[in-house]
Amino acid sequence: MTGGPWDLPPPDAPAQPALPIGMFCDGRTAALREVTLVLIEDSPASLLMREVATPVARSEGTSPADAAGQAAFSMEWPLAQLRRLPDQAGNSDPDDIGHHPTLVLTCTSAPLARLVVHHRGAIATILARAPALDARLPLRGKGRIAAWACAAVAAVALIIFGLVPLMANQLAAFLPPEGEKALGDKTYAQIRTAFGDEFFPLPECSDPAGLAAFQSMTERLVAQAEVPLDITFTVLDSDIVNAFALPGGRIVVFSGLIYESESADEVAAVIAHEIGHVVHRDPTRAALRTAGSFGVLGLLFGDFAGGSVVLMLANQVVEARYSQEAEAQADAFAHALLPKVGVSPAELAKLFEYLRDEYGEDSGIVKHFSSHPELGDRIAQARAAQAANPVPIQPLLSPSQEDAFFGICDEYGADDMPGGAFLRRIDDFFDED
Amino acid sequence: MTFVNAPAASRGTRFTGTGFTGTRGEMFRLAFKTALFTLLTLGLYRFWAKTRLRRYYWSAVQPCGVPLEYAGQGVEKLLGFLIAVVFLAFYIGIVNLVLMFASFALFQGNVTAYALSFIGILPLYFFATYRARRYVLARTRWRGIRFGLEAGAWRYAARALMHWAITICTLGLLWPRMTFYLEKFRTDRTTFGSHRLCQTGRWQMLFPLWLNVILPVGIGAGLIWAMITRDLPASAAVLVVVMVLWMLWGMLHYKVQSKRLLANAKELRLQTGEAVGLIAKPRTGRVLGIYLGGYALIYMIFGAVFGVIGGMVFASGLTLDGWVTPQSGGIAQGLAVSLGAVLYFGVFLFWISLTQVFVTLPLWRHYAQTLEITGVRALGGIHQAARDEALEAGGFAEALDLGAAI
Repeated sequence: MTGGPWDLPPPDAPAQPALPIGMFCDGRTAALREVTLVLIEDSPASLLMREVATPVARSEGTSPADAAGQAAFSMEWPLAQLRRLPDQAGNSDPDDIGHHPTLVLTCTSAPLARLVVHHRGAIATILARAPALDARLPLRGKGRIAAWACAAVAAVALIIFGLVPLMANQLAAFLPPEGEKALGDKTYAQIRTAFGDEFFPLPECSDPAGLAAFQSMTERLVAQAEVPLDITFTVLDSDIVNAFALPGGRIVVFSGLIYESESADEVAAVIAHEIGHVVHRDPTRAALRTAGSFGVLGLLFGDFAGGSVVLMLANQVVEARYSQEAEAQADAFAHALLPKVGVSPAELAKLFEYLRDEYGEDSGIVKHFSSHPELGDRIAQARAAQAANPVPIQPLLSPSQEDAFFGICDEYGADDMPGGAFLRRIDDFFDED
Repeated sequence: MTFVNAPAASRGTRFTGTGFTGTRGEMFRLAFKTALFTLLTLGLYRFWAKTRLRRYYWSAVQPCGVPLEYAGQGVEKLLGFLIAVVFLAFYIGIVNLVLMFASFALFQGNVTAYALSFIGILPLYFFATYRARRYVLARTRWRGIRFGLEAGAWRYAARALMHWAITICTLGLLWPRMTFYLEKFRTDRTTFGSHRLCQTGRWQMLFPLWLNVILPVGIGAGLIWAMITRDLPASAAVLVVVMVLWMLWGMLHYKVQSKRLLANAKELRLQTGEAVGLIAKPRTGRVLGIYLGGYALIYMIFGAVFGVIGGMVFASGLTLDGWVTPQSGGIAQGLAVSLGAVLYFGVFLFWISLTQVFVTLPLWRHYAQTLEITGVRALGGIHQAARDEALEAGGFAEALDLGAAI
């Protein structure tokens, strides 16, 4: 039983000159055999390849055929065992075989052998008749992949959560003050760029009256704290509700935090907490840790959508999650410092509560200050610190100073591009609600 | 029933040129689809994306009417990447941290850290490119026979560093020498089945091409020096521009034609004395035309699309004005942000697919169609080679982001 649209002669018919419509390689040598294709309708149906004797074929090192043109070589592949190579140019769609039709077939019983068909009619028939052309080979070596995946995860985890923090903690102690300052300045510039508009870094707020009020607040805090280095305080104009400390003693408050707080004392409480981080050199450790872990993270993600990793970096610095221990230390520092300037430690609790109610536990600042789910504990601790050590409450700033303080971002620093400030005003106009 | 054969087949084994059957439509669909999957999987699909593009390009190149085959698997690349991560994570994590510390502690800046980090990664870079080539060749087949590249990645890295040092010390004069010997190192270790390839020729054959780079640089430098010291008229600046253009053209010409000369001097010799060789005839003008025309077309497409979008926004902005009140500002802003994200990722997807369609594919087509194989009849004497696991599958190059294209 034979059939198919291109069966030139039936296999048992007397030989006629046959046209070669396939090229066969057996996967053992690079010899190429020109073959005719015949569909054998036995069960199971199969594809019969018979070599055509051509002068070229002979000269290519195969030894087919006697003079009568009878093929010395033939091979039969069951249709069910035929597989085609995926993603090949020119055979994507049975209804739309390209201008240069090419179908490359292999057989599950001879995985290295290849049959190349350029003949349009033959391709159409094979695509229509072979039942499992695109069946995939079972995935080999799953265990090995799983093992290496585990090793990769373990290596990255070991580096990021073990080795890098360990080394960062050790090295931070040896970083000289100038180096620490340079590291902080560099990070500060990066953050301003990353959170700024496309062309302009985030502007530094510098309304003279506001700055004076801010300065009197920070001076009183610093005077009561034992700080081993000079601290630079800056307000950056951004909606982000956050504050953070950088290496070398720079503390940055985003104006979003100021606008969301009810009194200057609440901001002072946050600043006291950040001073605690500076005193314990947490930012330096975090920056070194970021330097180590960022490259590793970049390694994992690749540059899949261009530059998105850079933002991640900046984000990581700002939302630097210090250890639970470091947060507790900074809290304790703030609880001890605040009563000395007449501010209740409960101010910290008030701001936490307000932000948690307003933004939920997952927003940036809540995460930053809570790190771990014990925000409730920390609120309670702040209240307890207040109860244990009741102090006469005296607002840090006078009402007129406080007004000025809330207007600290009405003007920008001299180094900020006027265009940036202008664009920002326009943004602000649309943001107001 | 008698069938008329398709053109490629009718030329049969007598056809010694190289056909190219890739089409822009198929390539666009494939590139767009795989880039989209890559985006949706946060980059995880990139191993499969690259594999599928390679399969397509390889299959489109048909020396003597028989397509090349890329037998790599996406999952292999994933595995190789994981292996590379295990080793590189230590290197990158610890070395970066220590360098950052040292550079801030000693120099108050991070430039030193970057410079040292770059120098430290150089040997790894050459190692990774060689290993990546080994994987690609180990997964490339033609006529069912595997290509291969013998071990030697660290020796290659040492050789490459030495040649770079020589090239830098001679102010770039001996660049062709580096090109030749590094290519010879790779070619002499390349196998097709049971047989090795051999790079014949001398490095001096590339030198005339290199004159198109060093002459304009020399003359241009002389002109600039003369302008500074001798008070040459400002119109001499035009000559400097001409020299720069000559140099740029010379660099492309060198890149294309050195490939041609090196290809023509490769051969595969059998025990019988027969040899298989290549005749490549790529044209610099055509390659330049593909780059310029392709990118011009892509920018025009983007320009037109953004023109239309901008026009629509402008037109609707007039009506938007009414409802962008302070109360609705949040909604309008949310809309703008999500539109921005769609636009950003849209540009990313179309940029990736259109560069494949209008630059990479035409380049492959040109290099393929100008390639001829000589001595095909000797190929019957070549036997299959054992499979080279090449376990890390170019993972180091992948992790270091070296093989950005294909």
